[in-house]
Amino acid sequence: MKKKIVATLLTAVMAASALAGCAQKVDPNADTAASKEATEETTQDATKEEAKTDETAAPEEKTIESCEIEFWHGMSNKQEEVLTQLTDEFNSSNEYGITVTLVNQGSYGDLSQKLQAAAAADGLPDMAQAYNNWLNPYIDKVVDLSDFVATDFDNYDDIIEAYRNECSEFGFVHALPFNKSTYVMFYNKTVLDELGLEAPKTWEDLTTIGEAYVEKYGNAAWGVDDLAGFVEASLRQNGEGYVDATGALFNTDGGLETMTYIMDLYNNGLARLVGEDKYFSNVLSAQAMLGYIGSSTGASYITADGWELGVCPVPSNKESAAYCAGTNLVMFTQDSNKQLAAWEYMKWLTSAEATVTWAVGTGYLPVRTSAYESAEYQEFMASDVTATAAYEQSDAFFTSLASYDASNDVRTAVAAKMEELILDETEPQDALDALVEEINAQF
Amino acid sequence: MEKKSMKGWLYLLPALIIITVFTLYPLIRAFSMSIMLDYDMIHNTFTGYGLENYQKVLSDKSFHKALGNTTIYAVVVVPCSIILSLLIAAMINGTKKTKGLFQTIYFLPYVTSVIAIGIVWSWIYNSRYGLLNSIISFFGFDPIEWLNKPKYALPALIIFAVWKSMAFNIMVFLAGLQTIPKEIYDAAKVDSTPRWRVFLRITVPGIAPMIVYSYIMGIISAFKVYNEVYSLYGGKAGPADSAITVVYYIWKKFYQSFKYGEAAAAAVILFFIILAFTMVQKLVRKFLSR
Repeated sequence: MKKKIVATLLTAVMAASALAGCAQKVDPNADTAASKEATEETTQDATKEEAKTDETAAPEEKTIESCEIEFWHGMSNKQEEVLTQLTDEFNSSNEYGITVTLVNQGSYGDLSQKLQAAAAADGLPDMAQAYNNWLNPYIDKVVDLSDFVATDFDNYDDIIEAYRNECSEFGFVHALPFNKSTYVMFYNKTVLDELGLEAPKTWEDLTTIGEAYVEKYGNAAWGVDDLAGFVEASLRQNGEGYVDATGALFNTDGGLETMTYIMDLYNNGLARLVGEDKYFSNVLSAQAMLGYIGSSTGASYITADGWELGVCPVPSNKESAAYCAGTNLVMFTQDSNKQLAAWEYMKWLTSAEATVTWAVGTGYLPVRTSAYESAEYQEFMASDVTATAAYEQSDAFFTSLASYDASNDVRTAVAAKMEELILDETEPQDALDALVEEINAQF
Repeated sequence: MEKKSMKGWLYLLPALIIITVFTLYPLIRAFSMSIMLDYDMIHNTFTGYGLENYQKVLSDKSFHKALGNTTIYAVVVVPCSIILSLLIAAMINGTKKTKGLFQTIYFLPYVTSVIAIGIVWSWIYNSRYGLLNSIISFFGFDPIEWLNKPKYALPALIIFAVWKSMAFNIMVFLAGLQTIPKEIYDAAKVDSTPRWRVFLRITVPGIAPMIVYSYIMGIISAFKVYNEVYSLYGGKAGPADSAITVVYYIWKKFYQSFKYGEAAAAAVILFFIILAFTMVQKLVRKFLSR
């Protein structure tokens, strides 16, 4: 039996190497190993082309037949509660008899892996939450929403500009923004008051306040939860580009200036890596640091016991730039009736009313300017320091370009490389060179 | 005769189907994916066949690091775990009243979730409040930043893994110890043989097959290490990816970079490494049993 298995394996290897020997640049349709599935699909480029031209017809007069929409999400706890509440409201009130079924797929990591597997198996749900960089391999399976937005959407310009840009970076509207957050600075206001200092507004402030804190308390003052996001935001604050589909854009004087600012913070002991503490919210809660830059949704993980939590916009330099995170809503269903139905639901979730309920209930940010200005949200903001700080920097929102193939690799490579450079206490110029080289190696 | 063999095949059918679908097909698929160029799993397209994926993987610094780490891990973890497990198993076997209790205690890590154990160990390793550092400082040494510094990332992982893998080994060895006839020990007692000699000359040879079994299984699973890394470092591969392993590398290539062909090539390389190790061990075993 064992011999047989080995024999089978050997045959497989031999067959494979034989194929490898004779074939270079084979037409995928003529290939034997993958012919069955391949004949159903054209080449990748062709399908991409198709997706662009195959635009969904806009609804002339609306007749949507009753149907069920499956929506995969990665929300849990309070977020899931509010999502369920909003969905129930939609299910019971829509006039077409549309029922949206929420399917919790676990964490973002689980959700992205399951979507990827579903895309390969042609089993994508009707709708899902997704980050742009997940979609690169199967953007052709995402429904183009351009016509929907043009003909059947309440004031698209009311959607925050940075989100509109993010949702159209593949060249067409592929998503609507949903659970959005931004990086703000959380700090220990009690300690800052003791030092007689104001919240940091500029890079210089970070340095001077940090020095004062370190001198008095001995610990490193600052931290950032997302190093890659911090590097990109800092470059933009200095008027520099970050990375595009061709490679790193910051091998410049401005880039060196930015790296000098970042590396000096770490090399001089003013900032530290999170390391074993995993999240800076733990460190700040334990009063072992002065402040950190992290997602606005992280506020709920900070326990201010015996001290007051302060939140301010991220300190900036020449320009202000605030990193935005959070997923968007994408549609996969190819059925035209279901597309209309899913669109009704997407319109509801991004409506001023729903986005305010969502934001107040979860701590995510509203996706519409009018929602920020609504009486309900203004009232909520008055009692919520995080929301106030997020709103203050809303003109500076940007999202990281993710519509190129290597975007995922660049993100993780920058995070790991920065960690290494900081651990090695690298000089700014060397750090810049190493980072640029590392980024370009991903392409 | 014909009928009989038909019936036999029918009985085998469920197992054969399962093995074909879940073992053989993925294996063949991994092989074929690894030689497809620019393979796109989502659309099932590729541009041709060749060995470029292997070239890319084999020249990738990150893969070298992963392979180095995995080899060190396997070479250190498995023997350490077996030696310690053997000593503990022998000790437990010697105690009559508390045997059940200790057996349960040492088996606990095996039935506990790796993720839960990882969280506990990341506390044990904590540089300021951790148990390990308080023991170290008791002996007058400086505290070590186990999880913060790349140079300690692999040692921390190894200590954790040795502890974790001991549970299974102890159980196997205890079962083995029951098979050694008591008379041999009695005879040794009559001759008043020293205890270490009894251990080396009776206990160890008595459960040699179990040791070999544990060793092979240990090496195989050590080369596939992933969960331990994931749980100890909260989803990362240690500070600045310093504790990356081959399976972690494969996962990263597949799910993060969408380089399906390269992921498959790395998996095939891992397959041959494990195959080679297993073959060598089999030869050694044959040679020893002669």
